[in-house]
Amino acid sequence: MAKEAVKYVWEGAIPLQIHLHKSDVASHPAPPPALVLAPRIGYLPLLIPLIKPYFKDSLPPGEDSIWFDYKGFPLKWYIPTGVLFDLLCAEPERPWNLTIHFRGYPSNILIPCEGEDSVKWNFVNSLKEAQYIINGNCKNVMNMSQSDQEDLWTSVMNGDLDAYTRLSPKLKMGTVEDEFSRTTSLSSPQSQQVVAETDVAGQVKTARIPVRLYVRSINKDFENLEDVPEIDTWDDISYLNRPVEFLREEGKCFTLRDAIESLLPEFMGDRAQTSGEERSMDDTEEADGSRETGEIKLVRIQGIEMKLEIPFSWVVNNLMNPEFYLHISVLVKAPQR
Amino acid sequence: MSQEEKAMEAIKDALRALRKRHLLEEGAHAPAISALSRPIISQGSEWKEKTEKLETELQQCYKAQSRLSEQLVIEVAESRTSKAILQEKELLINDLQKELTQRREECTQIQEELEEKTKMVDVLIAENQEIRSQLEEMTGRVQKAESENKMLIDRWMLQKMQDAERLNEANDLYEEMLAKLKANGLETLARQQVDGIVRRNEDGTDHFVESTIPSTCGHRIHAHEGGCGSIIFEYNSGTLFTGGQDRAVKMWDTNSGALIKSLYGSLGNILDMAVTHDNKSVIAATSSNNLFVWDVSSGRVRHTLTGHTDKVCAVDVSKFSSRHVVSAAYDRTIKLWDLHKGYCTNTVLFTSNCNAICLSIDGLTVFSGHMDGNLRLWDIQTGKLLSEVAGHSSAVTSVSLSRNGNRILTSGRDNVHNVFDTRTLEICGTLRASGNRLASNWSRSCISPDDDYVAAGSADGTVHVWSLSKGNIVSILKEQTSPILCCSWSGIGKPLASADKNGYVCTWT
Repeated sequence: MAKEAVKYVWEGAIPLQIHLHKSDVASHPAPPPALVLAPRIGYLPLLIPLIKPYFKDSLPPGEDSIWFDYKGFPLKWYIPTGVLFDLLCAEPERPWNLTIHFRGYPSNILIPCEGEDSVKWNFVNSLKEAQYIINGNCKNVMNMSQSDQEDLWTSVMNGDLDAYTRLSPKLKMGTVEDEFSRTTSLSSPQSQQVVAETDVAGQVKTARIPVRLYVRSINKDFENLEDVPEIDTWDDISYLNRPVEFLREEGKCFTLRDAIESLLPEFMGDRAQTSGEERSMDDTEEADGSRETGEIKLVRIQGIEMKLEIPFSWVVNNLMNPEFYLHISVLVKAPQR
Repeated sequence: MSQEEKAMEAIKDALRALRKRHLLEEGAHAPAISALSRPIISQGSEWKEKTEKLETELQQCYKAQSRLSEQLVIEVAESRTSKAILQEKELLINDLQKELTQRREECTQIQEELEEKTKMVDVLIAENQEIRSQLEEMTGRVQKAESENKMLIDRWMLQKMQDAERLNEANDLYEEMLAKLKANGLETLARQQVDGIVRRNEDGTDHFVESTIPSTCGHRIHAHEGGCGSIIFEYNSGTLFTGGQDRAVKMWDTNSGALIKSLYGSLGNILDMAVTHDNKSVIAATSSNNLFVWDVSSGRVRHTLTGHTDKVCAVDVSKFSSRHVVSAAYDRTIKLWDLHKGYCTNTVLFTSNCNAICLSIDGLTVFSGHMDGNLRLWDIQTGKLLSEVAGHSSAVTSVSLSRNGNRILTSGRDNVHNVFDTRTLEICGTLRASGNRLASNWSRSCISPDDDYVAAGSADGTVHVWSLSKGNIVSILKEQTSPILCCSWSGIGKPLASADKNGYVCTWT
């Protein structure tokens, strides 16, 4: 079952309907939108080779500087596609309508992207960051041969899970012990090996988990996700790149809730009413103050919402991205000002 | 629920959520999108293949084009060179054509000329053949003529021999006759002396007068200024005509020595004179190439005979007709004149100039004495040379006929006087004298009327008289001092007149 989850994660893809921005339309009639399936763990620039053929006849002459936007909101390209979708579409829009631009790159908002190479280096850097957080050094990534790096990246680009699982042990990333994953994977001898390896590699009591947290704050109060207003500035999104200290306690399971609490202590008025008597005991003020401090409306990882009681170790082992980072999208209601 | 169970529940929830998501997202859309993109992809690959093919074709086309353009460059260069060559050739052709037309013209010209030449050659061949045939004819004729000539010459020689024989016979006869005549002569002399008075008055008969030997000078007349070249007596009278360098003819009476008449009108020196038989006319040969004929009685010039181209040095008139005048001039001609017509009727040419001339008694033969010393005889009517005799070794100066016409006296510059027989042209006598030298080419000597005495003047002024029958000098008459130019014996026997270079005329009796 662990393998199943990872498989679903790797196979996950979002249907995109890419429209050519009308300012870039140089043919008559305007080209129809392109329909592509974008891997969740992939990045938007990697889709350009698929999209460009659709629009190249309609482009005005000149150099291309490609960027995407969602309802006028420029999209940062180094964020995995799935994360963007979970963050920006409160109510999942399928297909997701994006607009592609070939001109007029907004350099004030977006950092420049030189195509596949930029994405690859972003990936490798993230990998190094993750290893540093996990192992305390990133020498394993550095010592990896160029061809292995290439092959790793290629497997990520292509969504080749088998190749990835072959290559990733070379990184010698320490993983979190996860008895849940173990039990669920007794059927497959392969995964047993993997688990055994990870056991051998590092069984730390205290682990640090690389996490990237995206918090979208929405001013208005809403009940239904459809009512979420559109985002118009990146200022509404705060980005946290903070590792989670995974405490392994006896008899106690480190849940997702615990992780989020450690990351966003100020928003712990969330679901306080739904669960966690501890919480209500600790600060009713906080519960009352939740209306002033903000309220976590939504936590999405890899496009799914789950019970916060889910063990964090399972989450980490199954829902992390290929660069060993766990991306968490959080929708909060902004504190009233 | 224990925590573990909650955890497991949460995990299962999560899995369920993943599955749901899968169904909603890629499960639902993947097939459609892949279906949509397949044709595009395949199209894309198709287009790619097409473009690759087209690109390779294009490359090939470019290569082919570059090759072709290289070839084209080469061809263009070649075509240019061939054009240039062609132009050259065309020019050459033009030149050659011009040359060709020229040559053709020349050729036609040459052909025409050739035709002409061949025609001419044909004509010439024909002419040549004709001429050859003519030549053959001519040679035949010539041969014939030569043979005839030979024959004629033989005949002529035969004739001549026959003539000579005849002449010999005649001579024999003549001598016989002479002998007879002598015998008869004595008889007739006797008879004449008997009836001489009767016979003397008969005209036509020989006036036989006995000539006396002159010895004394009768008169000495200064006849002319300058020289007196010619004197002549009237027939049977003592009247003397003198002609001189002063262009005058004067008539003297020798008995008295007085001037009877003067005849003027001559334009030149009088070189010779002749008197007609009837004593009516006097003809003078002058140095002005003319002959003047005076009428004695009137004294006027009746005729002026022109025709000679040089001085007329001798003249004689026919005794028979007194119509025919013969004159010799230094243009080597003898002209025969008719006094009635007044012009020349015949002209005879010869090579040597004639100094003296004399007509025969019958007026048919002309005796001429020439510078080459020959005495020639001419036929008056035909003008042909009858015979010639070499009389002198130098020029003949005088020819005078005897009264009976049988004897002719020639005097030459070799100081010899010959007497010829007129018929046989043999020398009867030769007279010489040591002191006798002829003065000029025209020194005239004369015979006495009885044909016995010869008188000739000499350069020292003396006159010698010889006797013909005896052959010796009978008298030497000295009176004049200048050279004697002319002597003349009167027809009546006496006197003898002589004229000299100073113009004096002496009469001797």
